Amino acid sequence: MTTDWISLPLVGMPLISSVVLLAYVAYVSPAARERMGPTVRLVTLALSLAMLVLTTAMFLGDNYIEGTLDWTTLSFGSFNYEFQYEWIESLGIHWSVGMDALSFPMVWLTTFLLPITIVATWHEKNAAVYFPLVLMMGGALIGVFVALDLFMFYVFWELTLIPMFFLILKWGGHDRKYASQKFFIYTFTASVIMLLGLVTVYFLQPENLAHAGSWTGRTFDIPTLTAHAQSANAGGEWFLGVGLQKVLFVMLMIGFLVKLPSVPFHTWLPDAHVQAPTGGSMLLAGVMLKMGAYGMFRLPLAFFPHAAEHFQFWLLALGMVSLVWGAVVCLGQTNLKKMVAYSSVSHMGVILIGIATMQPLGWAAALFMMFAHGIISPMLFAVCGAFKHHYHSMEIGAMRGMAKHSPWLATSMMFAWMASLGLPLLAGFVAELMMFLALWHFIAAEGWSVLWMVGPAFVLAITAAYYLWSMQRTIFEGGEATQPPASLHGEPVPDITDAEKWAMVIMAAFTILFGVMPWIALDMMNGWTVAFFETLLIPILTGGA
Amino acid sequence: MEKIEPFGEGFVLALAPEFILVIGLFTLMIVPNLGDAKFRIPMTQIRIPWFMGGKRGTLDSDPRLPGLFATVFLSLAFGLTAMSFLNGMTRTQIVSGDNVMLQVDEFSRMFELIFFGALALASAASVNRLPATSRADRSASGLYNNRRQVDFYILLITTGLGMSVVALAQDLFLLFIGLELASFSTYILVAFMKESKEGTEAGMKYFIVGSVASGVGLYGLSLLYLWSGSLQFTELTSAFAANGMESLPLIALGMLLVGFGFKVSAAPFHFAAPDAYAGATAPVAGVLATASKAMGVLGLLRILLVVASPEATEGAAVWLVALGVLSVVTMTWGNLAALGSTNPKRMLAYSSVAHAGYMLAAITAIGALNWEEGHVNLSNDAALVVVTALIFHLTVLVCFKLGAFLVLSLLESEKGGHTLESLGGLAKRDPFLAVAMFIFMMSLAGVPPLSGFVSKLLVIMGIVKVALLDVTVNSDLAFSDLHWVWFLALAMVINSAISVFYYLRVGLVMYFHEPEEGREGPLPSGGPVRLAILACLVTTVFFGVGAGQLIALAESAANALVGAW
Repeated sequence: MTTDWISLPLVGMPLISSVVLLAYVAYVSPAARERMGPTVRLVTLALSLAMLVLTTAMFLGDNYIEGTLDWTTLSFGSFNYEFQYEWIESLGIHWSVGMDALSFPMVWLTTFLLPITIVATWHEKNAAVYFPLVLMMGGALIGVFVALDLFMFYVFWELTLIPMFFLILKWGGHDRKYASQKFFIYTFTASVIMLLGLVTVYFLQPENLAHAGSWTGRTFDIPTLTAHAQSANAGGEWFLGVGLQKVLFVMLMIGFLVKLPSVPFHTWLPDAHVQAPTGGSMLLAGVMLKMGAYGMFRLPLAFFPHAAEHFQFWLLALGMVSLVWGAVVCLGQTNLKKMVAYSSVSHMGVILIGIATMQPLGWAAALFMMFAHGIISPMLFAVCGAFKHHYHSMEIGAMRGMAKHSPWLATSMMFAWMASLGLPLLAGFVAELMMFLALWHFIAAEGWSVLWMVGPAFVLAITAAYYLWSMQRTIFEGGEATQPPASLHGEPVPDITDAEKWAMVIMAAFTILFGVMPWIALDMMNGWTVAFFETLLIPILTGGA
Repeated sequence: MEKIEPFGEGFVLALAPEFILVIGLFTLMIVPNLGDAKFRIPMTQIRIPWFMGGKRGTLDSDPRLPGLFATVFLSLAFGLTAMSFLNGMTRTQIVSGDNVMLQVDEFSRMFELIFFGALALASAASVNRLPATSRADRSASGLYNNRRQVDFYILLITTGLGMSVVALAQDLFLLFIGLELASFSTYILVAFMKESKEGTEAGMKYFIVGSVASGVGLYGLSLLYLWSGSLQFTELTSAFAANGMESLPLIALGMLLVGFGFKVSAAPFHFAAPDAYAGATAPVAGVLATASKAMGVLGLLRILLVVASPEATEGAAVWLVALGVLSVVTMTWGNLAALGSTNPKRMLAYSSVAHAGYMLAAITAIGALNWEEGHVNLSNDAALVVVTALIFHLTVLVCFKLGAFLVLSLLESEKGGHTLESLGGLAKRDPFLAVAMFIFMMSLAGVPPLSGFVSKLLVIMGIVKVALLDVTVNSDLAFSDLHWVWFLALAMVINSAISVFYYLRVGLVMYFHEPEEGREGPLPSGGPVRLAILACLVTTVFFGVGAGQLIALAESAANALVGAW
């Protein structure tokens, strides 16, 4: 690799250009700021589209950039487009980027969602500030996924909080103050605990590994640490000792479980989602939650597989509870967006169960769920946003007979709801099916009671129930005598705008694409999972060669 | 190592920044008084031009002049101090006979950078804060306002002088004199706004508590003298090494801890701090929270690490547990109290109490080191990391804590800044200030990539490194094998999570609340203070993203202290 295709185009460019735009916007008068809105919007759209083109070219690989690249056969611990610069040399901190089949789908997803978000929220107020913030959010998110240095990872991990905090605070709903604060404090608290765990790992590594700092003799380099942990874990040994590995595993997992979020740390999510603007919700649900799952794969599971096996039951239990509890709570919601938010908790439970099975199939399911949910949930929130935007209400039942007067919104809603509840041939189904198979496999292998399957199976019914129920009440009920919501005060009922239509159609198209041809993304995820198991997990956990 | 007698060869050059301040002091005294006065020799009619007093010229009677002078001289001192780093520092001692009085090395110079930087920024910001009336105004209050200008800046410069003496001193008594010079100057600075009730009360409270703390410290000092017969650091260190810890010096150390605990506003000696900060003008409060605190930490480092050298005692330092408990109490108390305060200056005061707790935790970690034979190198390394972290933390504190106070000082000049609500709508009224304040708050909370994060990370890293020093990594490693100072790091991260709440609240008020009535318009322009805020902002971000160089600088400073043990 001779050119750094990640740092500047995918991370630096969105961050720098958004800061420049924001600084310029803050400098001009309010009237000029208002006038600048459309231009800024176009600029951010163009930049994000350029990023999408780049990542797509990266995906297509062969000869587009940097010769032949195959994402599916990348061996474990090696990265494409890897690049490294000195940052704080004395502490062993580098600006180190690279992508493997774990991070690449997330990076592509982020670049895919950025233009979609911009288009779907085309008419957001105070555009000159809003769109740069969205772009900044994108840059920070990609930074998390491409970072191969713990320090850099943590920096971007926390950096994502700031644009999201402002998105919720400035464009959010009525209780946005409470929600944004809760969101920030929850995730910050979890992250500092994770940080202490990371620093402890940092000082427990032996001196003078590769990329070590001149002063501390330790490194923050993730691949180096992973490789070291791998060799230290080998042969049934516990890297850092039994007691400490468990403690550190828990400390790291706290950071990621809160972000995911899993029950019982999930309560920030519904508040943040309900209050967040549509664009904020789309990125929050689409990518930001996946940071939690991504982090689990990247750090604790790779560093501490013994502890992961030790806590396997608890992870499974947390996943089950998230899955069931999220779905049950959905049933009781009268607020459309809150229902969708809780359904996210439920789906994150699927990811956690997939991880907890410790099966290649389960992990691939988790990875694919991250990806599929990343396309479907933004569509859910886009629908909610359009609902709110056009009917000034979020109450299920405020609006009836939508099919009659707003066919576009009704269709989009129906499609998104169906995708989320796992209709076959749509992306979500693939992931859920894989998770069920993996869970079956796990239960059978462990000799557990079949009753363990009851919860997840029951959730399928509940999910169908709350989605169908809400759909029936908003789209179909009312028939000929449609009832425009009272909040419209007798104005004619509008359908969604052209921009929103475009966004919906694109998201729907990709939901179908990845539902019919999941192997486009699944192949590389599968390759990564298998490599992870073959090179790392199986030798370590079985204690064999 | 170079040894120079006072006023011997190279003396002036070695202490150039201090001499610049002395020159500044005289300039401030003389220049505003220059006039055409003549002195009549008694019993004759001969008048000799005397130039002091009389009718003053247009230039030297400008009420803004003292502020300008003070800023220039403090910046010059800052520049000279920084320059002495450029081509390698030679350790220079000012000796009188066998007694070492002052020592110029990277460590003292680094602290002087902190002091002079903070004071120069505060001085620039005060140009805005102190009302200066036009020269044409001959009313009593106008004259009074202008007259006071000089006093204020003279006090700022003497504060700087006192602090630099503390940094340079190699003798406890000299250190104490410098401390008192700086303290007395700050007592007056705090009470400088005597029109306001809060100012007077704050000054009084700060003075009484401070002088009691100084008195206790002085008593401790005399006990130490009684015990060893000398107050030279080197003498004291060897006395500790020879005699081990006896009860007399232990009591003396405890008393000194009270004296310096007050300066760093550690619990339970912090009670005067919130009142003092709230009553003082914001730039002065900023100096208290940064430079004055750095002075206290410097004193603690000298006393706990050099005088009561932990390596002289067996196993851990004697003060280890006491200081560890103190640090946790301090940080928790500070954060909990900050949660409940609605005055932003009190909030910042309590946050500075919390930061004192973090720094005490770091010092505690050094005390936990094992200095036995064959272990010294490891311990030295670890101590180096901790001291570096402390110095880094104190340095960047000047950027964002002082910056926050400077933003408040602009609000103060429109009679706001005493309630959180007066920050309301700042985002609309003045986006630059709001963004700056938000970044300062985020940096205080420790959000990457700002310098506050790096400093907190370094402190945590220092503590963790100490805690893991004696750990051998193998399969039997249990969590209980970690030294208990690891829990100080845990207390620290939990505390920084608590602190996010009140830092974030400032951001919420600025961006969410409507401006208070009568505060809708733009803020006073204030060029110098805005420039100072910009400087703070740039350094806050720069030392976060490009922390490497400052770390190297802090490391060289720490090396000068640790290497000389």
